[in-house]
Amino acid sequence: MLSIRGVATGYGKVQILRGIDMSVSEGQIVALLGGNGTGKSTLLKAISGLLPVWDGAIEFEGEPIQNRRPNEIVKRGLTQVTQGKDMYPAMSVEENLRIGAYTRRDRAGVTADIGKVFDYFPVLGERRRQLAATLSGGEVQMLVIGRGLMARPKLIMLDEPSSALAPRIVLDIFSIVNRISRNEGITILLVEQNVRMALLLAEYGYVIRDGVIHIEGDSRDLITDDNVRLAYLGGTVTDAGADAGTGLAH
Amino acid sequence: MDLLLDFVIVGVSIGIVYGLVALGISLIFSGLDIVHFAHGELYMIGSFLGIAVISFTGVPYFWALIGAMIITGVLGVVVERVFYRRLTRGGGGYTVAGMGMIICGFGMSVALQNVAYLLWGAAPHPYPVSFGMPIFLGNIALPKSYLYILICALVLMTVLHTFLTRTKLGLAVRAVAYNKDTSYLMGVNVPVMISLIFGVACAMAAAAGVLIGPINYVQIEMGYLMLLKAFAAAVVGGFGSLPGALLGGILVGLFETLCAGYLIASYKDIYAFLLLIVVLMVRPTGLLGILVKVKA
Repeated sequence: MLSIRGVATGYGKVQILRGIDMSVSEGQIVALLGGNGTGKSTLLKAISGLLPVWDGAIEFEGEPIQNRRPNEIVKRGLTQVTQGKDMYPAMSVEENLRIGAYTRRDRAGVTADIGKVFDYFPVLGERRRQLAATLSGGEVQMLVIGRGLMARPKLIMLDEPSSALAPRIVLDIFSIVNRISRNEGITILLVEQNVRMALLLAEYGYVIRDGVIHIEGDSRDLITDDNVRLAYLGGTVTDAGADAGTGLAH
Repeated sequence: MDLLLDFVIVGVSIGIVYGLVALGISLIFSGLDIVHFAHGELYMIGSFLGIAVISFTGVPYFWALIGAMIITGVLGVVVERVFYRRLTRGGGGYTVAGMGMIICGFGMSVALQNVAYLLWGAAPHPYPVSFGMPIFLGNIALPKSYLYILICALVLMTVLHTFLTRTKLGLAVRAVAYNKDTSYLMGVNVPVMISLIFGVACAMAAAAGVLIGPINYVQIEMGYLMLLKAFAAAVVGGFGSLPGALLGGILVGLFETLCAGYLIASYKDIYAFLLLIVVLMVRPTGLLGILVKVKA
């Protein structure tokens, strides 16, 4: 469904990604793992069109989408959910959801989908008229996921839904994400630092490091893989060293 | 008492005109991350275009207002597309490109003023409209043009507010004003929205120019003082806040009219900045500015 071959990009003259290869098949949940400043968010920006791709190809449903405008890519059914803080604080919860459905023309369908988002996240329904600025961190994360669903995407890219949230809330959100993926048939590319949690949810995982895919494999294999465990589950000196080296770029 | 009422009506009317220009400056600031220093010139050109529409077509004043707004709006979109877009693409606000944008705004101001000079000359032009006899309130005679300002400005504000809060396009404009990247990911065509924001802001400035025309003479240097006062109004109200821009405009207009009326009239243009300094000392974010938006 989504295939990425040899993608290289960066900010200005600083290169971050140096040839990324990965693919996501329909109906899968795929995890993209890596520490701070390894290029995870940069890759998402390149896929969604916010960053120009220097080299390589990105195909979505068999058609090249690299260097297209973000609004065109969203129309094709590929939506990126940015980290929680990127909601619109001065808009109500409902307005935030409506802006997510900006590309759609079917009013009745949009209203129905708002109801559906409230079914998945009942707390948002209770707060539909409140300003998004008044929501808690977990509620904001639910809001941006719900807003991503409003575009009726075929593939949704979640950028660190667990960041800065309490473990219990992360568990809630992940189980809802799992339910959404099954019920709605949405393919998910999950970008995470919370490796253990992400690998429980995903079927396949990629580990990105210094701008290249370092390790890939089935989640069950990855969770027991010594390299992964050494780098992310245990936390080691080399990991900290890698972060310091690339931390500037993030 | 009659005198005070007169001052209040005049002050609020002038203030609303400041508010219309300030509204445009605020809209552009939140939408494009730049302070637009040529906005006073668009106000001036809008005023001249109002005269042009009346003398070429003979339509009534109200349609001249609409006509001038549309033409100036289109002119604004062209200016933004052709000149500013190259700079804002590199980022606005506090970036190096944002600095270039400020210089570019000043340059545009000089350029537009000279274009206006070529077209209309340096002499002040009277507005070719007559509202008939003034209205008598007790002992004071109030020209009808002040009422016109109040009514037209209120209608314009209501239309703009309805557009921003009730329509899908308005929602997208607010989204782009807050965060361009996130809005792009929502499927909003951000470059088109930026042009729209710029066009609406310029149309508002033109409306201010046409509304103030019958009170003052129209001449090519009227933009500069208006820019400074509208800027003061925008800061007093809270920079980037739309209701704040309007409130700031009314306060500046009222304050300067009252001070000119009861204190020394020849210092009229100083009072606006006196108010600005006092507000900045007491409340640096402006009256309605709550969030100071720091952009990287």
